[in-house]
Amino acid sequence: MRVLLAEDDPLLGDGLRSALRQQGFVVDWVRDGAAAEHEIATQAYEAVVLDLGLPMRDGMDVLRTVRAQENPIPVLVLTARDAVPDRILGLETGADDYVIKPVDMYELGARLRALVRRTHGKTSDTLQLRQLVLTPSTREVRLENQAVVLSTREFDLLHTLMLNAGRVLSREQLEQSLYSWGQEVESNTIEFHIHKLRRKLRPEMIVTVRGVGYTMPRDDGVP
Amino acid sequence: MAWERLRSLQGRLIALLLTVVTGLWLAAAALTWVDARRELGELLDSHLAQAAALLVAQQVREIDEDALADAPNLFRYATHVAFQVWNGDQLMLHSANAPHTPLSQRERGFETRTIDGVQWRIFAAHGGAQNLQVYVGERIEARDDILATISRNLLVPLTLVLPLLALGTWWAVRAATHPLRRLSALLVARSPSALGPLPVENAPSEMEPLLAALNGLFERVANLLEAERRFTADAAHELRTPIAAIRIQAQVALGSAQKEERTGALRATIAGCDRASHLVDQLLQLARLENASVPPGTVDLATLARDCIAALSPAALARTQAVELVAPPQCVVAADGALLGILIRNLGDNAIRYGGAGARICFTVADGVQPELRVEDSGPGLLPAERARLGERFFRVLGSEETGSGLGWSIVRRIARVHELTIEVGESARLGGLAVCVRWPARKQA
Repeated sequence: MRVLLAEDDPLLGDGLRSALRQQGFVVDWVRDGAAAEHEIATQAYEAVVLDLGLPMRDGMDVLRTVRAQENPIPVLVLTARDAVPDRILGLETGADDYVIKPVDMYELGARLRALVRRTHGKTSDTLQLRQLVLTPSTREVRLENQAVVLSTREFDLLHTLMLNAGRVLSREQLEQSLYSWGQEVESNTIEFHIHKLRRKLRPEMIVTVRGVGYTMPRDDGVP
Repeated sequence: MAWERLRSLQGRLIALLLTVVTGLWLAAAALTWVDARRELGELLDSHLAQAAALLVAQQVREIDEDALADAPNLFRYATHVAFQVWNGDQLMLHSANAPHTPLSQRERGFETRTIDGVQWRIFAAHGGAQNLQVYVGERIEARDDILATISRNLLVPLTLVLPLLALGTWWAVRAATHPLRRLSALLVARSPSALGPLPVENAPSEMEPLLAALNGLFERVANLLEAERRFTADAAHELRTPIAAIRIQAQVALGSAQKEERTGALRATIAGCDRASHLVDQLLQLARLENASVPPGTVDLATLARDCIAALSPAALARTQAVELVAPPQCVVAADGALLGILIRNLGDNAIRYGGAGARICFTVADGVQPELRVEDSGPGLLPAERARLGERFFRVLGSEETGSGLGWSIVRRIARVHELTIEVGESARLGGLAVCVRWPARKQA
């Protein structure tokens, strides 16, 4: 799950990035408001962790711009401004969650997953497709109640496909959700991971739409 | 004055107006009364004289030797007047209410006297050849009655009008003070957080200064509150961020499976602790300075600057910066050595932090009537707007990579204030970056 982290403090930003990575997030880190705005507009993120006291452009301004562009991306505001009017303003401006520093890294991860889950219309943490069950918080996958051991990339790929079950995702979209900037992605990486996933699960669970991408059909069989 | 004790303006106005109107009315009544009394006296006296003259003229022609006649009372007013006609010692004619002794001893002219307890105004006239003596008298009481009627006619309307006037005044004053009441209602209805200006347009001109003063007050309070709010928000940010960093880094270290990541996170935790303790130190320094007074004493600025720069040099060298000091061998100034040391270190620290890698930093100590300490650098400097905000607690230049708290300048300003030093921030003509000049007040003896 790829998220954008906008935090100007070097120590905290570094800590947050490591903390989110440990929980399986793919993290891009920007240190000012203008960069945050640019990244949100041009990249595909599942969620944004936004500090309010950003240089160049205040976090609230970034949030306003994002919402003015009718971008529905989930935004979690992480800030030291704990006054109630600030919180209200943050939520009314378009924040989906408002977290006061300091924050527990696991709570932050859970909140982010909850935000992403809700944007996909899911109510519980667990994703289920027929006999396949995926739990993002514990990074567990079970097929017919048997644990399936997946690598980090395989898990992330499956997570993305299951979140978007019924939709066809292009190879570029899958790459974007799996890698942060600067990471070298070889041209056949996605095919390779899909191949391994099919072997560990069942081949028919992941359908190739030739020339477009991949999809996992929903229960009703409609892709 | 009694009216000054009245708390209500309306009450004051009504009381004052009624007092003035009543006073004027009473004065007018008194004047009228005095004037009426004089006029009435003259008029009635002339009537008495005329009546006497008539009696004399009549009796001279119609002296009837044998009859003492009682003239009838012809009018209700007749009981108030009396007359006697004497021919020598003989009373020839008199009114029913006249006594049988002469009304007066005078032969002619006016007299006021008391007969049987009643005051009379008497006119005496003498009838020439026949030795005819005529007295015409009028009770003083009658005159007083007329005067009383006149006075009553003056005062009764007053007593009738006064309540009406009070009512009218009350209404007028109420109407006139309506803007005042509207203002107070507006103020009462305001929420404590509403600090916007009150509407001045359409306000009576007398209220404009009051409104302007109130609006000025509101503005100052709003600015103060805003500064306070910003301070709290900034303080929260500055205090919580290192703590948040420490917590996250510690958790990362705990949850990390790789030794490398764990070590990095633990190092970062320590760095966060250092930053938090630096911040706490600065806050404590500021708190101590809040009530600080300078112990009287002197210090050698040149030596102190040299020591401080020596302590700062490693940090500057780590950034490949060149630090130099230009100072006379000695420059004794009035200051507390410890506080002045903090000031110099903070200025130097700022120059090093924000001067950028490879910058030149130059300290200059100049002795003279007004000793001064200058710190210049070849860094990017500051925009005028940013210079103005230096010393606001927690103000940091945006986009700066440095993790300063923005408290250093507050400390510098506070120390300068307790020493009565002036601080000028500008652009360095020599190095192109920021120039800070700390100047002592002129020495007392040259």
